[in-house]
Amino acid sequence: MKRLIDFLETLGALGAFAWQVFWSTLTSPRYFKETLRMMDVLVRRCIIPVGLAVAPVGAVISLQGIDVFKLFGAERMLSSFLGTAIVREYSPALASVMVAAQAGSSIAARIGTMKVRGQIDALAVMGVDPVRYVVVPGVIACLVVTPLLSVITNFLGIASGWFFAVPIGGVDHGAFMEHLTAQITAADLWVGLGKCALFGLGVGVIAGFLGLRVKHGAASVGKAANDTVVNTIILILLTDYVVSMMLLGMGL
Amino acid sequence: MSKLAATIDAYWNKGLAFLRFAAHALRTQLTTLPPRDAFVSQFVDAGWGSLGLLTMLTIFAGLNLSVQSYGSFERFGGQDLIGMFAGIGGVRELFPVMAAVVCGARIGANLAASLANMRISEQIDAFEVMAVDPMRFLVAPRLWAATLALPLLCGYADFIGLGASYLGAVYQLDLDPGSFLTQVQDQVRMVDVFAGMFKGLLMGWMVAIIACFHGYTVKASDGAEGVGISTNLAIVHGAVLCIVVNLLLSWVMYG
Repeated sequence: MKRLIDFLETLGALGAFAWQVFWSTLTSPRYFKETLRMMDVLVRRCIIPVGLAVAPVGAVISLQGIDVFKLFGAERMLSSFLGTAIVREYSPALASVMVAAQAGSSIAARIGTMKVRGQIDALAVMGVDPVRYVVVPGVIACLVVTPLLSVITNFLGIASGWFFAVPIGGVDHGAFMEHLTAQITAADLWVGLGKCALFGLGVGVIAGFLGLRVKHGAASVGKAANDTVVNTIILILLTDYVVSMMLLGMGL
Repeated sequence: MSKLAATIDAYWNKGLAFLRFAAHALRTQLTTLPPRDAFVSQFVDAGWGSLGLLTMLTIFAGLNLSVQSYGSFERFGGQDLIGMFAGIGGVRELFPVMAAVVCGARIGANLAASLANMRISEQIDAFEVMAVDPMRFLVAPRLWAATLALPLLCGYADFIGLGASYLGAVYQLDLDPGSFLTQVQDQVRMVDVFAGMFKGLLMGWMVAIIACFHGYTVKASDGAEGVGISTNLAIVHGAVLCIVVNLLLSWVMYG
């Protein structure tokens, strides 16, 4: 019972925090330079892990899919399935999970370290709102960077899928390219990017929330980084499911 | 140019240090018995501690697998093949990999944070001063715990995930339960589950050794920041490694 109350209390605090972040974004003062710097840092840090994580997924889909599609003599259709699966589902979900692992945990660890060292309190003493200066740039950066990374991983995933389908699997190159674009619609691309923005927002808010909740000591910094990753992955899968059900209901 | 050379040099040295660390840890792990109590507590923490998280995540991943593939397959008119898709894609790939990535992130982050914390509070140095081998008493139990816990978690994820896919397909998408089960029985062998568990075994050891390396080699002077950085590195390197190693293993097993 006490755990349930604690959980609800944390959830309420998270809601209040999210509202505070939202309100701080709408009103000045804003720190554009800090936001740009965060985006720059996130792109540099995330691009390699995100690429390395999503590229093998396309390869695995081709590797496992080719036998199944051959069963029906439809290996030319493999690329249609690969294209929609990567663009719509796997690239957004995995890119966001890796952004949570890389950017989310490092943002939480950074804010937690600042808290332990008393730098957050120092900011507040100087009249700078820590949420505006430290959290909001991170949230905006995650929101913008995740879809950008997902565009790159779309290409990487399809390229690695091509590699395992055409040279290794023996599918005809022309047929692969022709069926690749046949099934992807503009709606699929927007659904993928929209999901990424949603997940990125979640990563930024949860990382800031857990980072600021660090009390004292080095161990709690590690715990904040860890909790951020675990909680955002849960959130990503949950949201993904709800969004998929809604889209299926709308017939998109 | 010299900056690039310096970066490459730094990575090279770090790689060499990692290989030396891994070789030392493996030798210790295989030649000496880890202390029992430490192993048991680490094993319970890694296995039992991940169970709730893993159950929740695999249920959603299984439901997602059905719902999302329905959208893709509907375009070919192949929505009745979801059982086969969930069987092959889920049991062979998605569920074990997701168990390895998510539990690996959780376990690895815990290992790295605990070792880094011991390092900056100079407990590891204290072990050495007392002539107690920290490799044997701190690293080896953690390695054994992760290596043995992750395959079990992968096998568990297969069953929970497939069950969730079934529920999603039958109760949400109104597909025929009999045809779903027949397709799963046709496509999935017990060997596939064991293959997933074998992947888990390898990934568990790798995730643990990377996490231990990042935690163990933190400098005591880095303080709280060092703990945060090593935790972050452990999570990211572990997750990327799991996905890449999974591709290589699948290529060898099914390619």
